Amino acid sequence: MVQNHHCEDHETVGENKEKRPKFFINDHVDILIEILKRLDGRSLCVAASVCRLWCTIARNDSLWENLCFRHVSPPPSSVRSVVLALGGYKRLYTGCVRPVRSRLGRMRKASWSRDEVQLSLSLFCVDYYERLGGSNSSGRLVGESSPSSLMFLCKPVNV
Amino acid sequence: MVLYDSATLGGSCSGSSSSSSSSKPPPLQQRQQTQQDIDGLLAGAGYRVRSSELRKVAQRLERLETAMVNSPADLSQLASDTIHYNPSDLASWVDSLLSEFTQPPTCPSEFIMDPETNQTVVSDAWTTAEPHMPQVHQNISYQQQSLNNQLTVDNQLTVVTAMEEDSGIRLVHMLMTCAECVQRGDFSLATSCLEDMQGLLTRVNTVCGIGKVAGHFIDALSRRIFQGIGGGSINGGSAYENEILYHHFYEACPYLKFAHFTANQAILEAFDGHDCVHVVDFNLMHGLQWPALIQALALRPGGPPLLRLTGIGPPSPDGRDSLREIGLRLAELARSVNVRFAFRGVAASRLEDVKPWMLQVNPKESVAVNSIMQLHRLLGSDLNRNSPIETVLSWIRSLNPKIMTVVEQEANHNQPGFLDRFTEALHYYSTMFDSLEACTVQPNKALAEIYIQREIANVVSCEGSARVERHEPLSKWRTRLSGAGFRPLHLGSNAYKQASMLLTLFSAEGYSVEENDGCLTLGWHSRPLIAASAWQAVSDGTADFPA
Repeated sequence: MVQNHHCEDHETVGENKEKRPKFFINDHVDILIEILKRLDGRSLCVAASVCRLWCTIARNDSLWENLCFRHVSPPPSSVRSVVLALGGYKRLYTGCVRPVRSRLGRMRKASWSRDEVQLSLSLFCVDYYERLGGSNSSGRLVGESSPSSLMFLCKPVNV
Repeated sequence: MVLYDSATLGGSCSGSSSSSSSSKPPPLQQRQQTQQDIDGLLAGAGYRVRSSELRKVAQRLERLETAMVNSPADLSQLASDTIHYNPSDLASWVDSLLSEFTQPPTCPSEFIMDPETNQTVVSDAWTTAEPHMPQVHQNISYQQQSLNNQLTVDNQLTVVTAMEEDSGIRLVHMLMTCAECVQRGDFSLATSCLEDMQGLLTRVNTVCGIGKVAGHFIDALSRRIFQGIGGGSINGGSAYENEILYHHFYEACPYLKFAHFTANQAILEAFDGHDCVHVVDFNLMHGLQWPALIQALALRPGGPPLLRLTGIGPPSPDGRDSLREIGLRLAELARSVNVRFAFRGVAASRLEDVKPWMLQVNPKESVAVNSIMQLHRLLGSDLNRNSPIETVLSWIRSLNPKIMTVVEQEANHNQPGFLDRFTEALHYYSTMFDSLEACTVQPNKALAEIYIQREIANVVSCEGSARVERHEPLSKWRTRLSGAGFRPLHLGSNAYKQASMLLTLFSAEGYSVEENDGCLTLGWHSRPLIAASAWQAVSDGTADFPA
């Protein structure tokens, strides 16, 4: 998918600027970001393995924010500070949003509702809380440092 | 047609009329036959078969049926020439018929195993005392070697499952018999029942299904008979242990998650528009309920209120202040999401020891009282004074809470009669164990089972003040709370939607959320197991309404 974008941009950029023998996307980070913003989660992770520049960009939380909420209508406000405090959008996506959406069958649906957003955020918060317990000396209360409250999301879905 | 000598028709039942009369033989007769090793259930139908021969007789009946189906020519011979034995002596009757058939029936050498999950009565894995093998296929082939050498492979599976089902049913019957003996005070008979049951347990799969539940009930009964009704070690678990078990129960099945999320939704809606809120949690444990509420308050339109949380919990023995540690964790979370937060811990070993002044409720704040499976502990009535439930409900009412969320087990485990309670508990916990099968994550599942096992032991083996698991169904709670000056608040469609979504995420077929006149219940296959409701104190006109 990335390569297709690359080819299209190659043509567009090539026409707008003087003809150059090579177009190197890494010289145009803003365009690269625009492209990466539109990828799905899996492709974004693949893109992160391409080179160091792409890796740095893909780690940028705003890309993942876009990924989490690009289909939400209406987009939630004031969520950003909360999500960043609880561990960031990448973690929110990989830990909660993706499993929640795939379980609820929403991966291909255009938009998902406020309730689903709220539930994902709540689960994310419980996850953060359990991680807090793991890092303290009283972490033996929980017993393991990996978040256990979300483990039920890792089970395969019964078809 | 089968002819038999009517003069030899003896036995304990009157032949064909027994099926139209009472469906069960009188218990005394059944017990006598058990002691003579005659199977009680079949005796009720008119057949005398020794329990030890049940397996052989069943197999031979299968073979006989196959033989009859496969060689109809011999049937007419059976009708006319042969002398038959009394069919109520089933073992010799089937042997005699089988000897009439010249060749063994043709049989398929393979059979297909249906790897469906277990229900309570029918289990499709057959074990002896060997540990449960993950490959069911191996299981069957192992059993082939250990069973009688006369066995043929044909329909072995049907025989096995039939035997298993039969043992499961027998276990249930024996449990009921034993409980009835206990209720009557006949402990010698109860003890012999216990021994029989323990013998039967070795023939039943105890890893899942009826075998496992029965095992726990047998333990509870023996506790009651041999250790008395004081509870002993069951109630002596440390607070720390209880927290761990509770946490794993939270992980393994959706009941507590449902409770927390539903209560939080109700509290969130009740606090709408209030800037100074105070939540009283009757059982803090690890405080797993509150992160989600804190986050929801942080994101609510209009900004978060000042949140105070008072957590009640048992005192920690070894100088650790576990309440304070949980409070610190919650405070850190609240600080990360910019919610002004204050925590207070109240250590009390029993809920009735808590007095309202300990909670330090400010008259200007809105109060929410949250009780997750705590109110039923107050139902044990002391003959001398008021039932503690009335005391506690009256001081809750005096706080004038904006909302009181009550989540309780949906079961009737507080009946005075032991046998009724036992029967109800058997059904309830069988259903709950069935629902637990959906969880495969260890060690959550094993520890969750220990948590449930403790509840079972308390319901069955304790009495008086030791018995704290006095569950009552929603209808009774409604009457009780309405009588104490509370009116119900409907939980609303948001709570229902959230609960349904939570269940879909849990992705185990079989759980169901139902709405019951403004309350929500979560159950397994339409048997509700836990009920969540919300209440508000009825104003008597003199109370100050907080801002």
